[in-house]
Amino acid sequence: MRIMIVGAGQVGRHLCEKLSVEGQEVVLVDQDAAKLRRLERELNIMPVQGSGASARVLEEAGIDKTGLFIAVTDSDEVNLVACIISKQYNVKTRIARVRNEDFYALDAPLSEKALGIDLLISPDHAMADEIVRLSLLSEAFEVAEFAGGQVVLLGYEVQGSNPCVGIPLERLKSGQSGPGFVIAAIIRNNATIIPRGGDRIEAGDKIYIVVRKNNIPLVEPLLFNCASRAPKLVFVIGGGTIGSLVARHFEDKKIAVRLVEKSSLRCKALIEQLDETVVLNFDGLEAHDLLDEGIDQADLVISVTNSDTSNILSSLLAKHHGAKKCITHITRPDFIPLLGKLGIDVALSPRLVAANMILRFVRGGGTIVSVATLLGSDAEVIELKVPDREQFRGTPLKSLHFPRGSIVGAIVRGREVIIPSGETELAADDSLVVFFTKEAQHLVEAIFA
Amino acid sequence: MRTGGVFNILGKLLILLSLSLLTPIPFSLWFGDGMVPVFLVSAGCGALLGGAMVLLFLPEHDLGYRDGFAVVVLSWLLFAFIGALPYHFCGAMPSFVDCYFESMSGFTTTGSTILDRVEVLPASVLFWRAMTHWLGGMGIIVLSLAVLPLLGIGGMQLFQAEMPGPTKDRLAPRIQDTARILWSAYLLLTLVEILLLMLGGLSFFDAVCHSFATLATGGFSTHTASVGHFQSVYVEAVIIVFMFLAGVNFSLHYQGLRGRFSAYWRNEEFRLYVILSTSAVVLIMFANGYHGIYHGLGENLRTAAFQVYTVLTTTGFGTADFDKWPAVCKVLLVSLMFVGGCAGSTGGGIKVVRFLLFFKYARLQLRSLVHPRAVGAIKMGNVKVPQEVMVSILGFFALYIGFFLLASLVVTGLGVDLVTGTTAVIATLNNIGPGLHLVGPAQHFGHLPPLAKVVLVICMLAGRLELYTVAVLLTPDFWSMARKPLWRWSARRLVDKSAA
Repeated sequence: MRIMIVGAGQVGRHLCEKLSVEGQEVVLVDQDAAKLRRLERELNIMPVQGSGASARVLEEAGIDKTGLFIAVTDSDEVNLVACIISKQYNVKTRIARVRNEDFYALDAPLSEKALGIDLLISPDHAMADEIVRLSLLSEAFEVAEFAGGQVVLLGYEVQGSNPCVGIPLERLKSGQSGPGFVIAAIIRNNATIIPRGGDRIEAGDKIYIVVRKNNIPLVEPLLFNCASRAPKLVFVIGGGTIGSLVARHFEDKKIAVRLVEKSSLRCKALIEQLDETVVLNFDGLEAHDLLDEGIDQADLVISVTNSDTSNILSSLLAKHHGAKKCITHITRPDFIPLLGKLGIDVALSPRLVAANMILRFVRGGGTIVSVATLLGSDAEVIELKVPDREQFRGTPLKSLHFPRGSIVGAIVRGREVIIPSGETELAADDSLVVFFTKEAQHLVEAIFA
Repeated sequence: MRTGGVFNILGKLLILLSLSLLTPIPFSLWFGDGMVPVFLVSAGCGALLGGAMVLLFLPEHDLGYRDGFAVVVLSWLLFAFIGALPYHFCGAMPSFVDCYFESMSGFTTTGSTILDRVEVLPASVLFWRAMTHWLGGMGIIVLSLAVLPLLGIGGMQLFQAEMPGPTKDRLAPRIQDTARILWSAYLLLTLVEILLLMLGGLSFFDAVCHSFATLATGGFSTHTASVGHFQSVYVEAVIIVFMFLAGVNFSLHYQGLRGRFSAYWRNEEFRLYVILSTSAVVLIMFANGYHGIYHGLGENLRTAAFQVYTVLTTTGFGTADFDKWPAVCKVLLVSLMFVGGCAGSTGGGIKVVRFLLFFKYARLQLRSLVHPRAVGAIKMGNVKVPQEVMVSILGFFALYIGFFLLASLVVTGLGVDLVTGTTAVIATLNNIGPGLHLVGPAQHFGHLPPLAKVVLVICMLAGRLELYTVAVLLTPDFWSMARKPLWRWSARRLVDKSAA
């Protein structure tokens, strides 16, 4: 299927990267010839220079053969016009990035349906949703979803007081027959370990576990003595669209929110939109004021100003003074891997979040369905489809001899998700969520090649 | 440069090439020339070397822009080495330098030979010579992109490094599909020519070898007298037509095969190519007629057309010894040698489009002298040519002159005379085959000093890959970017450590 992407910004670039690696035919349309040349050199895509809102350009790019059309330029109007043009060419699926709030209101006259667009996406909305989702997990520092959101990957930092420290993993597991989980990776002194049954957890490790989503409340207390609970006090630093959306959400959940915004004009607008939230008018870098308002007591600090530096510094400050968890907005995704090492729990880029949301919407088949790289480590996760061949039917996992440095975290069979053990038997059309270090990647791929 | 990843890919490409070394075996069995062990051993050597490289070096996924240059140049050097083994083992060539020269001349579709009489080679080895042409014509790396998924992300870099050219046409969004389209057009044209030549009474063996050499614009024949051996107007006409086609951009053939014939004439480069070649034929006919070299218009047209296309498309077949023609014809042919085929064809040389843009640029400069305040742009078809393309073309001409002068200096410095030395460089740098005087159409390259052959080998490769790719590997800057390779055994130790 040919995929046409209009707009070579961060969202477009991320989509091109992911889709072309999967072997899709990707055509990228943008006005900026220099940008296109650079991307063409790096990725296996066909660049076409011109405006996405021009039928002539789209025709030249082969829109009549296109099955999926994604318009993600900076301009709402260009995206909408491009999608409307693409409708004339019988493109099956259309996705547009639209920033204007008016399109998302419940009674909007121009909704997705009226426009004939399958998915309208706003990075700010996507970001707010993601923050809310992450905020509900107590101490987890990273979440990735697999198998359409049924299975999640959670990261925890192991404290010295944790009862699991020092127990071999196989014993830990045999103790729980009910809610299954798999410890997929351990990061110890910056080295990634894909554990085997004999390995033990040590204090200071970061561990990644795979669990079924509805089992999280059961697994968390068993493993870590901590219940997943909603935060009681939330600080939001930055009163832009994301900040106000997030504050609104917590407000509705009856959670105390304090929102810090430096522009007094913006503060006045915010108090009109929000009811219970305490809107504070000072700069998010005023350490003294933040402490005065009790940031050290916060369960969750969300830094979403439009300055990366402010966000990183205020998050570090909050963590230093005892805030339990922070979520940080960053516009340059290249720096996300660094932030984990600095002690920032979650770093998100709205554009990446939006791109990933589009990918999740788009994906259906293919061998490698989704790829996520674990924060600050060289381990990767992929979702692999088991090929429909005799050798895999009814084979127990352990006889496939997965190489060292790889582990199967979950098996998705139809609508069901299985957290596997070595005895679990495979069936045709299973999807496996596999964790591996870079060195083991080829060996894993070789098994299913 | 990711040294380990580059060598891993090189190993895989070598294994692919070793497979092609098995293709002459059926011919060897058919003619009973006893060359089967030669090809088996050669293929074995290639596979062993390739296998060792794959085993020693871990693949790396994120091969970059620079790695493309290294993979392409090093693989061509290695291909020529493995391709030279059959010549060496069959014992018909005096030294390994000669074998390497012959092999590189094959892969780069040059067609210069060191043999006085090609009939001394067994039939299957002659077939291998033609096969090297055919593989090199559209490019082995482009072929491997088309048939193998193994090259992965680095594909675009490899494609651009092996199929250079000032303008590029993407036929499909994925580079693999583009490569597949080009190779299928190439294969189709080859099959049609084989069929037509067989209808003209050629044996299957001769038809295949000559078709391979024509479509690749190579020029190796199975006979010392080249195409002249057949003494057939029909065969020459067929070969002229296919030489002409091989000199055309293959993406135009793709359009043509899909029924869009208007694409040909709408292409400005194609128009110039046609005009240039026809006017050259007319001029040479006129000069030869004036000097009374050939009797009758038909004979004159036949030889003039054949030599013009063989030289312009850089094929290098021969039906007449143009070294004996009047000086004006020789000057004309040598000028055509520089021009070469169209961009995206299998021909060598500077390429018609570069001359086209070069002259447009000169015209623009002249116009700006008359109208100093006029705004000017260079257009191809209806599209403005970006400034970078113009700069890269001017850079190309500069590099070209540099290569030409340096190589001529070395070759004549080794005691080769002026005409022989310079035309040998011209013939190899443009991947044509024969030059003038002692390397003329009726002569060979065997008598040149060994060092001169090495220089000419470099010229052939530089010409085939259009200079930039080879030249960049000669800069210290490039090698300062090389990283330490990732050895497979050290990586394995790393995994074990992390698991322990």
